[in-house]
Amino acid sequence: MPRLLRPASAVASVAGAAVIWIALLGPVIALLTHMSGRAIVSALEAPGAFGPLLVSVEAGGVTLAVLMLICTPLAWMLARGRLPFPRIWEAGVIASMLLPPLVIGLLLVFLVGPYTWVGSVIGDLHLSATNTFLALVIAEVYESAPYYVLGAQAAFASVDPRLEQQAGLLGDRPRRVFRRVTLPLAAPGLAMSLAVGWARAMGAFGAVLIIAYHPYGIPMQIYTTLQETGLASALPFALVLLVVALPLPLAAYVWSARAGRRRRG
Amino acid sequence: MLDADVEVDRRDFAVRAAVSVPPGERLALFGPSGAGKTTILEAIAGLVPLRRGRVVLRGRVLSSTGPPAVAVPPWRRGVGLLRQDPGLFPHLSVRGNLGYAPAADAAGRGDRARRLDELAGRLGLGGLLQAMPARLSGGQAHRVALGRLLLADCDALLLDEPYSGLDAALRRSLTELVIGLVGDREVPSVLVAHELPDAQAFASRLAVLDRGSVLQTGTPHEVVLRPASRRVAELVGYLGFVPVRASAAAVGAEVGAGEAVAGEAVAGVHPDRVVAGAHPGRGVVVTGTLTRCVPAGAGWEVGLGLGEATVVCRLADRPQVRDGRLVVTALDPPCFGPDGVAVPKHGGGDMKTIQGVTPAW
Repeated sequence: MPRLLRPASAVASVAGAAVIWIALLGPVIALLTHMSGRAIVSALEAPGAFGPLLVSVEAGGVTLAVLMLICTPLAWMLARGRLPFPRIWEAGVIASMLLPPLVIGLLLVFLVGPYTWVGSVIGDLHLSATNTFLALVIAEVYESAPYYVLGAQAAFASVDPRLEQQAGLLGDRPRRVFRRVTLPLAAPGLAMSLAVGWARAMGAFGAVLIIAYHPYGIPMQIYTTLQETGLASALPFALVLLVVALPLPLAAYVWSARAGRRRRG
Repeated sequence: MLDADVEVDRRDFAVRAAVSVPPGERLALFGPSGAGKTTILEAIAGLVPLRRGRVVLRGRVLSSTGPPAVAVPPWRRGVGLLRQDPGLFPHLSVRGNLGYAPAADAAGRGDRARRLDELAGRLGLGGLLQAMPARLSGGQAHRVALGRLLLADCDALLLDEPYSGLDAALRRSLTELVIGLVGDREVPSVLVAHELPDAQAFASRLAVLDRGSVLQTGTPHEVVLRPASRRVAELVGYLGFVPVRASAAAVGAEVGAGEAVAGEAVAGVHPDRVVAGAHPGRGVVVTGTLTRCVPAGAGWEVGLGLGEATVVCRLADRPQVRDGRLVVTALDPPCFGPDGVAVPKHGGGDMKTIQGVTPAW
């Protein structure tokens, strides 16, 4: 490329990226420009305004714990080909991701509803999987798990198996290899996958609407406020959702970038 | 002592090999790509299952198809493996990599830290202990990988083409370093190489492999000068095979009465074991047509046409050609019978050439 055209090309690239970035941020910009300070204060001062926030954060936290404990081993086994017929397992994960959240909610009624055998087992434990905190967690797990599993699988697959082999030859048992090599190397990818899972959990709505209308999380609060008092009253809660949900993905992003920089020395 | 007699299934063929390496000895497994060299190392390290066989290291059975069947897992074998990719842990500093192997106890950890600093100095890594692997050059990364294995106190060292891709000077210095360190520790070591100079530079003994089988074992010099078969000769760099006719008188005494090799045989000509001119007392004098002459290293690589056969040789000086014909002497060449097996020679025979070759013994 001629030398004179290089700066022009660089400027065009940055301008193009900026246009795309602003377009992606469009809804957030709209949110910020369509709210007044007074509306925010009055919405947040309403009695019980912070209840849904607390429910969302708690349910999101439990969902993350479930993802880490249950889905991480599945992702590792998928990445390392430890499961028979791996394509079938992967297809199952992808299929659950392709289902619209609303449909997931409807199907969960058939799976964990009070008249199913799973529901009756849950009932025997004096719990219920409909319109309870447990139901909210179940809905959030189903909405976020496929995204986490696929991301974590990619994170584990990015770790060279020869490094694990080398660690074993140096005297580490498999569990220790996982702790000292696999996990640290996959950690940035796992953190990003968790961030995606967290975002999906915090924003879960379709499945929640069907099986966990109560207790209200923030998405449900936004929906009911919109229904009852209109858009202006609902928007402050959207801002709250954004403010509460953003730090974790942002921290994951910053930490991943820092880990990458550290490895590059 | 490392004793391995292994048979491993591969997709294309089964690898069958028996190697025995005393402490401090350096064995090189040499052969073309895909010959099964790495498979043997992996079988010793416990990374691939044996179909049949046994691996014993310092009297401890690591693998055996039995009975009783034994399969010690890789992390309990005490076998260090260094590959072409040094395999440094990218999230750990040079110090973290060097000291990776778990120490048995606190005293071991203290001793390890002292040895680490000492070894780092010897490996020329003293100023790099806090550096991350991504910042290291290829040679530095290999030295870290080697130091990591040595600090792990392995009972055997396996080197799988560790220096491929590095420049010749670096390969030479690393090989000397490995020889010194392995010699100090008196551990058996096995190097896999598909470049003969690498194998020769490292090994005190050389095993030539082809399609999963060991064709010949001996000192590197012995294998190159006296290949057991034409295939071994081809693998160790013989580039020309000159038809000769061996009479019973020439070879009969050594192959046994009544078993004299009859018919055509070939003499193997190694490019580096050829001198210009006719020296009948030193080998086979070959007269042929000059087909090419190109600079090679500090000398010349010459192609010599002998009817259907072609001989390649490297000469120090540009050859003088008369009437398009060139005379060279292949120094004491090995001879192979029609079945490809080496024919023992002795002086005083009368080997006759088929065309263009004058017998010298």
